[in-house]
Amino acid sequence: MKVHGTASRPRTDIARSSGFEESELLNRVKARDLHAFEKLYRIYQPRLTRFLFNLVQRPQLVEEVLDDTMMVVWQTAGNFRGTSKLSTWIFAIAYRKALKARSRWPEPVADEAFDTRVSNDPGPDQQLHEQHLHDALVEAMEDLSADHRAVVDLTYFHGMGYREIAEIMKCPVDTVKTRMFHARRRLKQALSGSLRDWL
Amino acid sequence: MPNPDATHDQAEALLPWYANGTLDGPDQALVERHLTSCARCQRQLGLERVLIDEFRSFAPEAETGWTRLRGRIEAKAPPRRSIAEVATEIWQRFNRPAFAALAVAQLAFVVLAGSILLSLNRPTYRALGASEAPPTANVLVMFRPEATEQHIRTALKASGASLVGGPTAADAYLLHVAPPQRATALAALRSDGAIQLAQPIDAAPQ
Repeated sequence: MKVHGTASRPRTDIARSSGFEESELLNRVKARDLHAFEKLYRIYQPRLTRFLFNLVQRPQLVEEVLDDTMMVVWQTAGNFRGTSKLSTWIFAIAYRKALKARSRWPEPVADEAFDTRVSNDPGPDQQLHEQHLHDALVEAMEDLSADHRAVVDLTYFHGMGYREIAEIMKCPVDTVKTRMFHARRRLKQALSGSLRDWL
Repeated sequence: MPNPDATHDQAEALLPWYANGTLDGPDQALVERHLTSCARCQRQLGLERVLIDEFRSFAPEAETGWTRLRGRIEAKAPPRRSIAEVATEIWQRFNRPAFAALAVAQLAFVVLAGSILLSLNRPTYRALGASEAPPTANVLVMFRPEATEQHIRTALKASGASLVGGPTAADAYLLHVAPPQRATALAALRSDGAIQLAQPIDAAPQ
């Protein structure tokens, strides 16, 4: 299973569906309609794969957690009452499953000295190609803790608001803001050469 | 007058969500006001937009795992229904008038029959060395459709009841509670949000 991003442009548009369409699908899933569940799976599988890869960073675990997440959706769809968005409910299940899976594996250690270190690569005068920016971003993400990666990815890629992220991660909104603040600082340092026009 | 440093920190922390367009009115107004006078946040906003573009420009090339997942679902078929799902179905059926009348009649019959049988109070004979008899049901309950398996477990634990049978013809469940605790257990069950109905089906303990 390939889960690393490719630098190929143009921009990738992961299928986004309307809330209404998803809600209709879920009603059919509640009635044990496997075909509707397949459609729901195909809507969420790319988004969850990416989210989970940022959390667990191991392709085998991503597959396992994705399957476990969607099995929970299939088995407990009847419990979803619509008090939150369907995406929030599904991402929250995925987040909990990922935390559980991650606890079985050693977490790649976040580089604590990163905040105070000056980035050496690339140098300030070096003009980076877009490919380099992409590679630097992937590398910088790998240096973040799983919770920081989750907040960054849910914000920048999945386009979620901080309240929804707090609901998914079951933490206060201020924690989300703080995680994002620290993650951005690290990303900025890691990408300082690539993004010098902005810094 | 607001502290400019505090406003700056607040606005800076919100910039990623200003850039992805998810801020609500007051947050958005705060950021916009601040952006008019803060060059640093203006630059930072540019960076946020670059990051959003970068993040969205690559996505995992994940092969679909639908076949794998479908196999897993089918291997479990027929799907195991949780008590909550069963309860949901009961509730949905109850909402149909014809079924509701029938179900209430069935439930009344179950309660009445249980009471009559238990009130006969026939002596029981057990052979020496026989294993302990299974607990007799003395309470009947119906769970609310929204009750999750966890709610139900908590309700049973809190009342000290144990599940001994069900679902019945009316999709109710049979519980056993120690006779001296029956009144307390019934009160606990009736006050629990997960339970729609809790009814004794034996004679009141002496």
